Amino acid sequence: MTGGKQGSDPAPFARHLLSLADTKRILGIRYSDWLLGAPSIETGIAASAMAQDEWGHARLLYSMLKDFGFDPFEIEHERPAARYYSAPALDQPLEDWAGVVAAVAVVDRALEVALESLSQGSFELARSRVPKMLAEEEFHRSFGDAWFRRLSEAGGEARKRLESHVGAMLPSTLAWLAPDDGPYAELASEGLVRSSEEVRERFDQAFAHLAGAIGIDAGAVEPDRSGWDEMRRRGPGAPAEDAVERARGDRNRALFVE
Amino acid sequence: MTAGLGEEVYDVFARKNRGEPLHHIGYVDADGEALARVYAWTTYDEENWFEMCVIRRDNIIPVNRADGPWGTNRPPIGEAQ
Repeated sequence: MTGGKQGSDPAPFARHLLSLADTKRILGIRYSDWLLGAPSIETGIAASAMAQDEWGHARLLYSMLKDFGFDPFEIEHERPAARYYSAPALDQPLEDWAGVVAAVAVVDRALEVALESLSQGSFELARSRVPKMLAEEEFHRSFGDAWFRRLSEAGGEARKRLESHVGAMLPSTLAWLAPDDGPYAELASEGLVRSSEEVRERFDQAFAHLAGAIGIDAGAVEPDRSGWDEMRRRGPGAPAEDAVERARGDRNRALFVE
Repeated sequence: MTAGLGEEVYDVFARKNRGEPLHHIGYVDADGEALARVYAWTTYDEENWFEMCVIRRDNIIPVNRADGPWGTNRPPIGEAQ
């Protein structure tokens, strides 16, 4: 990692913050892809607002890395895709509206659970700043839940696509949310976050009513931990280059000011 | 009143400050109350509203005019029920 005074790799808690921030940033990109392709004007505006929320939250989380000796500017604007820590479910664009709804229901909800865990931990900056993010997330949850029910109750192709996207996103997102590795266990034992088991249980509780609507037992889904990279807090792969170029602001680089 | 995609029209009311009158600021098309809340909040976010609420247009009962946006819901007073 560039910009860190601690050497080439960030400490586990900085990696955790990066994982949350990067996931929010890429989720914002994925929502923004649908500003003009959503089913209605109101829905597109809501997608736009959620994209802005995610980017605002990401900015706040990146800024917390100052406490660990990192330069947020370098972290936001200089890293290659291979150094992103975002949830794998967002690596590729969401191919249809059912995919967007699945991402709100699964990935955004997993982020909410992870943030809730962070806000109740011992990191003071998170305790003071994250509750406002969680309040804004309430609208994302309402939006996702309503659309999820709408597509699941519609049946046919809509429900089939929703089931397919949820089925594809859940295993890797569960692994991302609740790592089964030493560094995460260390954070939990230090009181910075809830344990892996606790966040998984919280997610299952929060997602059960939607999962049940498409015949999935949320608690029975196995996390996909294949190829887990402890350093990047995720499985193999990286977000698509186009998304990272937008996240970094490559096209606006000449306009950056110190 | 039905909008596109089988959605309903919801009218949006808001006030900027405590004690101010509630103003009609617009409407959204939504499939249910949950989405109406989200759409109203995200569509009309130009102010830091003290209070915002939505009501399904079908539930607004006009009192004296038949030519407003809610005029088709009920005949106004004085006309045959």
